[in-house]
Amino acid sequence: MEYSENIKVAWQGLTDHKFRSFLTMLGIIFGVASVIAMLSIGEGAKREAIAKYQDLGVNNIIVREKDMTDEELEEVRTKFSPGLSLHDAEVIREIVPGVSRIAAQAEINADVKYTNRSVKSSVIGVTPEFYDILNYKISEGEFIGDVHYDGKQKVCVLGAGIAFTLFQKEEPIGKMIKIEDQWLEVVGVLESKALFTETVGELAARDLNTDVYVPLSMFLDRFSRGNALDSEIQQLTIQVENSEHLMETSTLVNEIVKRHHFNNEDYGIVIPLELLKQEEKERQIYNFLLGAIAAISLLVGGIGIMNIMLATVMERTREIGIRRAIGARKRDIMTQFVTEAVVISIAGGIIGVVAGVSLSLLVSVFTDVSTYIRLYSIVIAFAFSVVVGVVFGYLPAKNAANLKPVDSIRYE
Amino acid sequence: MNDKLLIEITNITKRYEMGDNVVMALQDVNLKIERGEYLSIMGPSGSGKSTFMNILGCLDTPSTGEYKFRGVDVSKLDDDALSAMRNKEIGFVFQNFNLLPKLNAVQNVELPLAYAGVPAAERRERAIRALERVKLADRMHHKPSELSGGQRQRVAIARALVTNPGILLADEPTGALDSKTGVEIMRLFDELHREGDNTIILITHEQEIANYAIRNVYIKDGTIHYDRLNTNRTIVS
Repeated sequence: MEYSENIKVAWQGLTDHKFRSFLTMLGIIFGVASVIAMLSIGEGAKREAIAKYQDLGVNNIIVREKDMTDEELEEVRTKFSPGLSLHDAEVIREIVPGVSRIAAQAEINADVKYTNRSVKSSVIGVTPEFYDILNYKISEGEFIGDVHYDGKQKVCVLGAGIAFTLFQKEEPIGKMIKIEDQWLEVVGVLESKALFTETVGELAARDLNTDVYVPLSMFLDRFSRGNALDSEIQQLTIQVENSEHLMETSTLVNEIVKRHHFNNEDYGIVIPLELLKQEEKERQIYNFLLGAIAAISLLVGGIGIMNIMLATVMERTREIGIRRAIGARKRDIMTQFVTEAVVISIAGGIIGVVAGVSLSLLVSVFTDVSTYIRLYSIVIAFAFSVVVGVVFGYLPAKNAANLKPVDSIRYE
Repeated sequence: MNDKLLIEITNITKRYEMGDNVVMALQDVNLKIERGEYLSIMGPSGSGKSTFMNILGCLDTPSTGEYKFRGVDVSKLDDDALSAMRNKEIGFVFQNFNLLPKLNAVQNVELPLAYAGVPAAERRERAIRALERVKLADRMHHKPSELSGGQRQRVAIARALVTNPGILLADEPTGALDSKTGVEIMRLFDELHREGDNTIILITHEQEIANYAIRNVYIKDGTIHYDRLNTNRTIVS
């Protein structure tokens, strides 16, 4: 007996009892759908986290000044800490091996004005390395380059958000904007960046799109600090050559900065990759839990199939007897019933895939949970449903094959 | 050796154990059947004739003794080989037809060929020929439920014939039919015997049906009481 014929017989059995088949499949449908939806939610969360940390740079170590009150600032200064400075950057560059680039940045909050419009913004003085280290993308013009930096030029690059607020449909490049009492020429506009919605260590949550970037050299010369005790710079972003050495490098960086700050802990170190790994670990536990629930659902679905198949075998004893009498071998009967179970579970699997994909799309459309369906999750869920069919179809099929033809042919 | 010899049964017994009781369903049965014979096996219920039929039909094996079919000892075969024997050498016709209700006539007739691994196209062709032989080709797309009792039995006979088996084994073939239809079925057997040179074994408890056969075997209490030529055979015209 060719296999295609078994499939035909199985399909016919299935369509003869549509409602019963549907009920039989229900467990598989739920199981497969939940596996796919669960994996897509997990994957969505993972991608969001990766995107977030990629913005911070997975090869980076970020040293950032702590947020301090004026009293705290005074206290650390009296304890001789000079605060974060360009000197720290130079020392790290000299002493720490495996550092490819260091970007220093200094910040103030100021109003940025163009014609009659005014926006509160973070004005950030940066070195040209900043652009490469932090994966910024320019959409128009250029970023702060060596010429701007060395010449301490009065230029600036705008975040996508602030560029839009100030200029709207106007062309920003070449225009002059005013920050405090300085006039700066806009030389570039950045592409929009993902919102930084969570505070990570010393890095506060904020919208990077409202930042204005200027050459650090010019910034230090021309912009006044609110407090004379303020540090020279607020952040150092250190890019290492090999991400495997992130931990050792960060320990070394910490030692150096600590010594230069006379053991004052007026700074914090953030390692985006470590945070990413940690978050991933937490997510794994969560994923495992969801996976277990989905697996139980598939198991219950499998038991449902077995239950119906056992009843079907009883109901069809006579048919089995007839088939045996005209020459079906045990393995023909076995194949027939396993095929039926598999056809049911595959059909349930297909419906489950459709349901799971729709579910995850619905979740991403109607909630702020982002989902992402990977092909492998569909393959896994589907393969699992086939396995369930084989496993739970086996026992009923074996029962069917082992019926004695003499008895089953006379079964009423 | 007689090359017309088809079946040779020597000292067969069949024992059933029910708790402490041992029931001898068959005891020292000997029988030889030649190709082209038309015989009936008759006996009252409980005589062991059903057990005997099961053994003849390779649905069951004897406890002791030898059952040779075309010289092959069937009693020593495993389940797969017995299935193959049933498929190729035995054509069953049952009292209650035993057609598969979901399949139409021609699909029912094709089924033994499917288990024999015959390709689909050839299978259909042979099934149609078998249905033509029982004069039911025009009903080939009907489901059993759409056919009369006599027609169903014809489909069953076509299914039995389709593999060109060594024997047609008919178990009370007219038991579920009215007498007129029963006679028609018996006429069909007669034709198959005369024209097709088929070996036919009728299992029955009715003398009337047994009388259609050329040779009568009578079983009682698990042994053969007589085995003789039928002198007053019912001839169907």
